[in-house]
Amino acid sequence: MIVGDLEGEALARLLSGPGLRLRTGPVVTRITSPLDDVAHGVGLLYRDHPVDEGFADFHVRIDRPAGLRRWLKPQVQFRFDGWPPFYPLPGDQGFPILEWGMNWCVSTTCHQYLIVHAAVVERGGKALILPAPPGSGKSTLCAGLVHRGWRLLSDELTLLDPGSGQVMPVPRPVSLKNASIEVIGRFAPQSVLSPTVHDTLKGSVAHMKPPVESVHRALEGAAPRWLVLPRYRAGAQARLEPLPKGRAFMHLVESAFNYHLHGRGGFEVIGCAIEACDCFEFAYGDLEEAATVFAELADRP
Amino acid sequence: MRWHTVPRETLSLRTFDDELVVRNGATGSTHLLQPLAAEALKLLLEASNGMTAAELAARLGNDAEDGAAGIAAMEDLLSEFKRLGLAEPID
Repeated sequence: MIVGDLEGEALARLLSGPGLRLRTGPVVTRITSPLDDVAHGVGLLYRDHPVDEGFADFHVRIDRPAGLRRWLKPQVQFRFDGWPPFYPLPGDQGFPILEWGMNWCVSTTCHQYLIVHAAVVERGGKALILPAPPGSGKSTLCAGLVHRGWRLLSDELTLLDPGSGQVMPVPRPVSLKNASIEVIGRFAPQSVLSPTVHDTLKGSVAHMKPPVESVHRALEGAAPRWLVLPRYRAGAQARLEPLPKGRAFMHLVESAFNYHLHGRGGFEVIGCAIEACDCFEFAYGDLEEAATVFAELADRP
Repeated sequence: MRWHTVPRETLSLRTFDDELVVRNGATGSTHLLQPLAAEALKLLLEASNGMTAAELAARLGNDAEDGAAGIAAMEDLLSEFKRLGLAEPID
């Protein structure tokens, strides 16, 4: 069964009752929430994702904190096993807080993987890893590439499997912020976007539904092949510049959530990934130009 | 003063071109060494009886023109290795 099979009120009933066991790649999250905007967001953006039964890795709940405030200035709270790891947010941020919370669940607990804060897409079985700080245009580039023939593995979390060396997908909605929302709306008019939520900690935020093929291939890993540090600069010509591998290695170390937990093994995982990758810095000012550059990169022998 | 590296099994190394990434298992820290420092650490690792700053400078091509300045640079580098937990004085 997939989320889209739950018709009408069935999804909202599941969410407000026993919970929806949502599979996203290697993890299952049991989500409960009485909130309409959470049900709407899940129904819209996770429509193609499998619904599991039985064991769940994470049990999360989005609801309104108790007290008088819920009537005067409603808020939303994310709970993990009944415990709130974050402060409550304004009441219209139910779906964004679910997304941020699900990222938090993976990045703080899935230590069977070496987890890097990076977008990652795949073409021809080869993974393009895009580590970059917020504001660099990483998610915009990722969203653009998945509308030009690349498969989405993740826009936030690159899961490196120490056993195989492969990147494992965790395909979920792509988080778009501020001007990027309109950019992607124009670049890929067929994309499905959530309603924009304004005045969040990250500005205005909307989420883009992952392509159905990315969801269907959610258990299919990809071998690291390129590591690219993107940087959006208005007016910049799209260009790849070689990045020394030592520096690329250190970028992965600094972008990893749990490198320190993997000890010598983490060093080896990153070392193998860097050995296998061509590494670049990439400035771009136009998404179509960027997509062309990456198509050419993928076609190189 | 003679210097040697911390025990070899404490360190994980990866060479990329002429740079070296080294993880120090004792501290959990990872460092990127530029070509000169990379070469110096490799020489220290090979030296079973350790090396002085002057010996290290000579092995790296220190000549009469560089003289004391080259040795002083090696002393600074070895002090930096000590700070990072990569090397230590023998006596």
